[in-house]
Amino acid sequence: MTGTELQMLLSGAWTTVWISAIAIVGGVPLGLVLGLGRVAGIPVLSQLLALYISIGRATPLVTLVLLLFVGLPVVGINIDAVTAGVLTLLLNTATFNAEIWRSVYQSFPRGQIEAAQAVGMQKGAIFRRIMLPQMSVAALPGLMNEATLLVKASPAIAVIGIVDLTRVTDRISARTYEPLPPIIAAGIIYMIIIAGMVRLQRVLEKRAAKWSA
Amino acid sequence: MPDAVPALEARHISKTFGELEVLRDISLVVNPGDTISVLGPSGSGKSTMLRCLNFLETPDRGQVLLAGEPVGRRADGRLVSDKELAKSRARMGMVFQSFNLWPHFTVLQNVIEAPTKVLGLSKDEAVARAEGLLAKVGLADKRDVYPFALSGGQKQRVAIARALCMKPDVLLFDEPTSALDPELVGEVLAVMRDLAKEGMTMVVVTHEMGFARDVCDEVVFMDRGVVVEHAPPAEFFGNPKTERAQRFLSRYA
Ligand SMILES: Nc1ncnc2c1ncn2[C@@H]1O[C@H](COP(=O)(O)OP(=O)(O)O)[C@@H](O)[C@H]1O
Ligand SMILES: [Mg+2]
Repeated sequence: MTGTELQMLLSGAWTTVWISAIAIVGGVPLGLVLGLGRVAGIPVLSQLLALYISIGRATPLVTLVLLLFVGLPVVGINIDAVTAGVLTLLLNTATFNAEIWRSVYQSFPRGQIEAAQAVGMQKGAIFRRIMLPQMSVAALPGLMNEATLLVKASPAIAVIGIVDLTRVTDRISARTYEPLPPIIAAGIIYMIIIAGMVRLQRVLEKRAAKWSA
Repeated sequence: MPDAVPALEARHISKTFGELEVLRDISLVVNPGDTISVLGPSGSGKSTMLRCLNFLETPDRGQVLLAGEPVGRRADGRLVSDKELAKSRARMGMVFQSFNLWPHFTVLQNVIEAPTKVLGLSKDEAVARAEGLLAKVGLADKRDVYPFALSGGQKQRVAIARALCMKPDVLLFDEPTSALDPELVGEVLAVMRDLAKEGMTMVVVTHEMGFARDVCDEVVFMDRGVVVEHAPPAEFFGNPKTERAQRFLSRYA
């Protein structure tokens, strides 16, 4: 591989990183909203969210991205490939995150909430001050696991022409007629990305460990 | 003091869980400065009764009055807003069997959280108040420690300081020593004894007969969701009137 090809590879890697990053950064809070909305017992809305979450979890990324990219223009919403790709990953990861948030929410110790109610704290303050900090720590391993799965599943969005770290290997071997080196290089870059995420998780866990020891 | 407004009063409280009638027409009067102990076999509804006083459980029927003002429900029977209920609760401290400290906060943070966020005290005022209380419960040196590093007895004393830091009109205790190793019970009871002596108004659900006998102004004996006896401790322990109370006491003789 020459310098140009290396540059192509890095550009593909960058595409994978930033598209995944937006999906993860957006998908974590969206998952929280979906997960809490699902268990809030709001008539119709909670049922709709439950339905959306099961459909979202069951739909392959390739199907979802085609649906958005091909389907939205049909109903008059124009969408470019990158937006469709980001949206696909975000909507998909949010449904998995919703289940993670829901489970840590539902297993939150009742007694701590009652102690907060007993001193006169109201719902919003109890959620923000007491529940969310602890829920975040409890959810972190699950969220991080989902985030790494998302990065690994992200090549699905190449189907609509986005040149990510996987797709770019095709482009490179079309020039070099040597498919193996770019694939190996891409594999190593995926490993580096995932390793970085695991490192981040360790750092965050360490910060919480001072009280959860 | 026939004319004084009770610090806390429950009138004809009833509560069912599904088919189970847990409280039947419970009434209770707690005069300012009094310590009431609530005794009774396990499952008799003591916790539920206590939790109805600050509406952690919503009673099906009946009224709760804090210094004469309705708690949780207005005179017309409608439930009050969350905000209004929170205001009433802020005036009633509660200490739980399982401490229920917030593990992500240090001891000091546990104690100042509600005073700053609910009462609107400045951080400095709240810290000053909290430090005084932590000294009082013998935990001044633990202020920056997280709860996991405390013994059960220490946790419960922090929980008491947390409740006291709101300067409540009434303190509710639900078996505060039942989760403790026997050698740690004394340190918590000592704090409660001091509070009673200082004139704190308290309702204490307990199995500590010594505490009920020596510290309390009145004993309420519950069985199967009703108040069976209601008497000064000397009378209750010396001369229980009902067979149920006699049977209960014989197990602690
Ligand atoms: N949330 C609840 N749902 C259903 N039953 C309950 C609930 N809380 C308490 N009970 C039942 O009510 C009865 C009284 O319980 P409780 O008030 O905890 O008694 P005590 O504190 O005297 O041991 C018990 O039979 C208990 O199982
Ligand atoms: Mg109980």
